[in-house]
Amino acid sequence: MAIVAQSSKFSTYGRPVLAWGVGLLFFFPIFWMVLTSFKTDADAVKPEHLIFFTPTFDNYLNMTDNYDYWRFATNSVISAVSATAFTLFVSVPAAYAMAFNPSRSTKDVLMWMLSTKMLPAAAVLYPMIFLAKSIGLYDTHILIITVLSLINLPIAIWMLFTYFKEIPKDIIEAGKMDGVNTWGEIKEILVPLAWGGIASTALLVFIFCWNEAYWTVRLTTIDAATLSKLIEGNRAPEGLFFGRLSAVSTAAVGPIVVLGWFCQKQLVQGLTFGAVK
Amino acid sequence: MSDRKLPRLLQAPAVLLLLVWMLIPLGMTLYFSFIRYVLNSLRRPEWTSPSLSNWRGFGNYEFVLKSKDFLLAIQNSLFIVCSILFLTVILGVLIAVLINKAFPGQGVVRVLLISPFFVMPAVNAVLWINMILDPVLGLQGIAVAGINEFLDGLRQIPVLGGFFSLWPEFEPVSFRATQTSAIAVIMMVTWQWTPFAVLIFMTSLQSEDQQQKEAAVLDGASTWSQFRFLTLPHLGRPIAIVVMIQAIFHLSLYAEIEIVSRGNGNKNLPYLIGEFANNNIGAASATGIFAVILANFVAIFLLRMVGKTLME
Repeated sequence: MAIVAQSSKFSTYGRPVLAWGVGLLFFFPIFWMVLTSFKTDADAVKPEHLIFFTPTFDNYLNMTDNYDYWRFATNSVISAVSATAFTLFVSVPAAYAMAFNPSRSTKDVLMWMLSTKMLPAAAVLYPMIFLAKSIGLYDTHILIITVLSLINLPIAIWMLFTYFKEIPKDIIEAGKMDGVNTWGEIKEILVPLAWGGIASTALLVFIFCWNEAYWTVRLTTIDAATLSKLIEGNRAPEGLFFGRLSAVSTAAVGPIVVLGWFCQKQLVQGLTFGAVK
Repeated sequence: MSDRKLPRLLQAPAVLLLLVWMLIPLGMTLYFSFIRYVLNSLRRPEWTSPSLSNWRGFGNYEFVLKSKDFLLAIQNSLFIVCSILFLTVILGVLIAVLINKAFPGQGVVRVLLISPFFVMPAVNAVLWINMILDPVLGLQGIAVAGINEFLDGLRQIPVLGGFFSLWPEFEPVSFRATQTSAIAVIMMVTWQWTPFAVLIFMTSLQSEDQQQKEAAVLDGASTWSQFRFLTLPHLGRPIAIVVMIQAIFHLSLYAEIEIVSRGNGNKNLPYLIGEFANNNIGAASATGIFAVILANFVAIFLLRMVGKTLME
């Protein structure tokens, strides 16, 4: 390439150094959290043990005693998995219909769905609490699963729509000729073809559900409280518990960060609704 | 079943669910915003349950408009959102351009860079405000103390010491104060969302017209003018999309505010609503309606800007 010919000193030395510097800088807070999680609470605030310390696993071993970690983690898993499943169950047929049988109103419906994402959650918080309490669903999994599904539904439909749009219509039409019914079309033709798109939609919705911190904090007290609620409840540990707090935080975000590494490409297409390729 | 009905039927559950989700709570908020409705009142127990006989008209709206927190909250919301948008777009473009060309370890740097985006907001806020920014126990406190100690050491040097004694001691900054907590929130959210901008800009840069660039190089265009006249226009659409998506998320920013600035006067709109909702549901609902109006202004503006490109 012609551009390589004029590559300067910057390209050979400056770019890698600067890029690595930026990468490490952005990763540093996470690294620091993981490092602190292996310190005792006492060591975590001592400047002399900033880097050199005797690592301990106690913070992880005592997570149950200190924070009841597994109860919150179980709640997070239950709500995020169920909400993801329910979201897909509703959004796959909808996106299928919109992508393969678009009507004149499809564009408007899609735009309207996106606009529901702009409804500020805080504006409808109290009615939700009121409704939930009056039908006895406050602080239950069902409530959290429903809310998580609803707030992620527009994004899921948009993502799936952009994936389905890429599938040639002829393939679906061919299935129709063979006399397969709609459910069969979705199951036998669409899902195998769009497997990658559906999987990455599921992954993203799962990540959003896991990290959600407005509704899960406001609509739960104990029974359905998720990891966000646990961390939020320990917002000011007054420095006494940096070690154990780091451990529980690492346990809360670790799996998701690793999951995110694997789906970063899909993330772009998904979050930009296919507008950036 | 006819060809027309079936697609409608398949869409129906999604449309109905979202319609219910939009209309019922929003309708209730609208209703509550026009009545007197509080959670606890010894003097007026009849106000503690929603009823049309407690009609207040625009009284709640007047009350909210007159409270000095309201203007502050709107200012703060806009200040926080605009600062984050500004910083993430600038940093995002610079970093994307930096790491877009191949260098040793490019893949690893990408993974390091994207990681903050997946950290849950609650952890993000707790991590930053305690372990990094705390003025005594956090890295900030430790760093400032270290610098002061180092300067103290310099002051002991016989002749040169006189010069260093003129230097003041450094003071650590408390990021839990009213004035500074917005800065802390902006820092942590920028840390989390810059990776998102980078990722999207990088994807877009990969589809940049290389032939055009090579032609520009042959014509002797400088690196700056290549960036200014080729790369930047190419990034126009992704920048618009990054702005739109972030605006959606940051207007309802909550966990970070709740954790960093609880009770210190630095409120945004969602936080103010939460505060009203501790007792005065009427006022909370009126504030909620204001938030909806603000979001709609932003939404109309943004959808006009990027909506068309999304549908292509």
